[in-house]
Amino acid sequence: MEGASELVLRLKKLNGEFDPLFAVSANATDACRHYLSDSIKDAKSLVLVSEQKGKIVGLLKADLRDRTFYQPRKEGAIVEFYILPEYRRKRLGEELIEEAVKALKRKGAQIITAEFPSQNQIAVNFYSKRGYRPLVSVYATEKV
Amino acid sequence: MLSLKVQTRKFSDLAIRYSSFYEGKIEIAPKVPIKNLDDFSVWYTPGVAAVSKLIQRNRELSFDYTARWNTVGIFTDGSRVLGLGDVGPEASLPVMEGKALLYKYLGGVDAIPLPIDAQGVERMVETIKALQPALGGVNLEDISSPKCFYLLEKLREELEIPVWHDDQQGTAGVTLAALLNALKLTDLKLSEARITLFGAGAANIATARLLIEAGADAGALMLVDSKGILHPERDDIDELLLKHRWKYELAIQTNRDRRVGGIAEAVDGADVLIAASRPGPGVIKKEVVQRMSDKAIVFALANPTPEIWPSVAKNAGAKIVATGRSDFPNQVNNSLIFPGVFRGVLDVRAKAITDEMIIVAAEELARYAQERGLDEDYILPTMVEWQAYPRVAAAVGSKAVELGLARKRLSEEELYHRAKRIIGRSKKLLQVLGRAGLIRRPPKMGMK
Repeated sequence: MEGASELVLRLKKLNGEFDPLFAVSANATDACRHYLSDSIKDAKSLVLVSEQKGKIVGLLKADLRDRTFYQPRKEGAIVEFYILPEYRRKRLGEELIEEAVKALKRKGAQIITAEFPSQNQIAVNFYSKRGYRPLVSVYATEKV
Repeated sequence: MLSLKVQTRKFSDLAIRYSSFYEGKIEIAPKVPIKNLDDFSVWYTPGVAAVSKLIQRNRELSFDYTARWNTVGIFTDGSRVLGLGDVGPEASLPVMEGKALLYKYLGGVDAIPLPIDAQGVERMVETIKALQPALGGVNLEDISSPKCFYLLEKLREELEIPVWHDDQQGTAGVTLAALLNALKLTDLKLSEARITLFGAGAANIATARLLIEAGADAGALMLVDSKGILHPERDDIDELLLKHRWKYELAIQTNRDRRVGGIAEAVDGADVLIAASRPGPGVIKKEVVQRMSDKAIVFALANPTPEIWPSVAKNAGAKIVATGRSDFPNQVNNSLIFPGVFRGVLDVRAKAITDEMIIVAAEELARYAQERGLDEDYILPTMVEWQAYPRVAAAVGSKAVELGLARKRLSEEELYHRAKRIIGRSKKLLQVLGRAGLIRRPPKMGMK
């Protein structure tokens, strides 16, 4: 649990590099732990980890969503995905995604989506290369 | 060290007066005879048109029929000049002129200072690329990090002439040469030495990369920056991925043991400490050196004052100490490398300078010192041992030939004699001009 929630925190910090609106909060460490333990219990969520020599080096969390107005209706959304730097570019991420897609399909997912900060060009390249295309845009302003 | 301050002030004073007296340090001079009016018709129109047409049919001939083969552009945006920081392109000009002087005097290379008012790094890439037809090589100088890494990488990809960033490759090359000899004296192998680098700017990042390329054990290598020892799981690792890819890649390769802490922890048991951080003294304490192995090699390369005084490092147990200064033994100075490297690549019309070529330059420089007889105060030749330069040139040139990167194939021996002749001519030129009074004696001035 410690190792896994550390990876979630690292991912959140990485997101912070792309936009100030992703600056991590002071209680992020605890929040990550709660978030992860809730997700593991939740039947509509999926948490997968990559392990190397007893150490958690990669993490993926996905949610099953119901697309009420559209078809296909069942969406498997990858919402957290992080691999420790040393283990990148070794097909670990690929394997994690493949496993996740299989598991989400078993749970009824008909399409797969992935969410990440718009400015994350590494993620854009990663998913584009695998045939994903942009679907939803989220625009933000602090001026309220 | 009060005398150092007095000394620096004396040099600064002279530099200002002389620069205005001589109105700059270099000029362009003809190298062909002009005796009568007809000569102009050969060197310029109408004769020159025939040469133009030749080159039009084969652009490569520009290396044979013009001075392109021996011309290097010294490019900077003035963003990190010496220890001064971002002074802008105009203020970098005296420094680039100085570099051009060293190029000509030590390497026989015609180098043109070209500080550019570059609005952004892509504009700089485009500008340098656009000037390629006039140049045999590109020297990048005094450009801030990590911009300099991107520029070198990008230009190395895009240009068909050698590109060099002296603050990276020159420093790395001469440091490798010094280290090879220091290791020889302490009976250590590069592949087995435990090496710590203190400071993670352009110099030490390039040095770390070259050391790994030359056979150092990356996992045993440690790099220390202002946030401590780099390692693959440091908190700012993803920030580095996005902002400084070159440092990120080293963070992943190095520090196999995941040592955390600062310089003190990083040198525990280390054989070699290479510091290129900030001017000392006192940046590295004697206690740090005391934590090293009994064969400690300490390179304190910050200028103008090393991170630790050599005497302090020696008293703390260092076997061999080198600095960046000429008034101590073992000066690790880029000027020992770049003139020879460029002499070599220009003479074979090389298309690039690869890491392998820098490694042979370092090995040759080291070998030169070995032949003269190594001792703890002589691990490198000095800048006045000019015979070292043609040796480096020949080694680099023949490596380029071997790697298939040369437009012109010459043997190592041919290269050596050619380099010796060109560099010798350059020195003689200065002597002759001085004797003829064309280079005036410096004005007599009272010291302040």
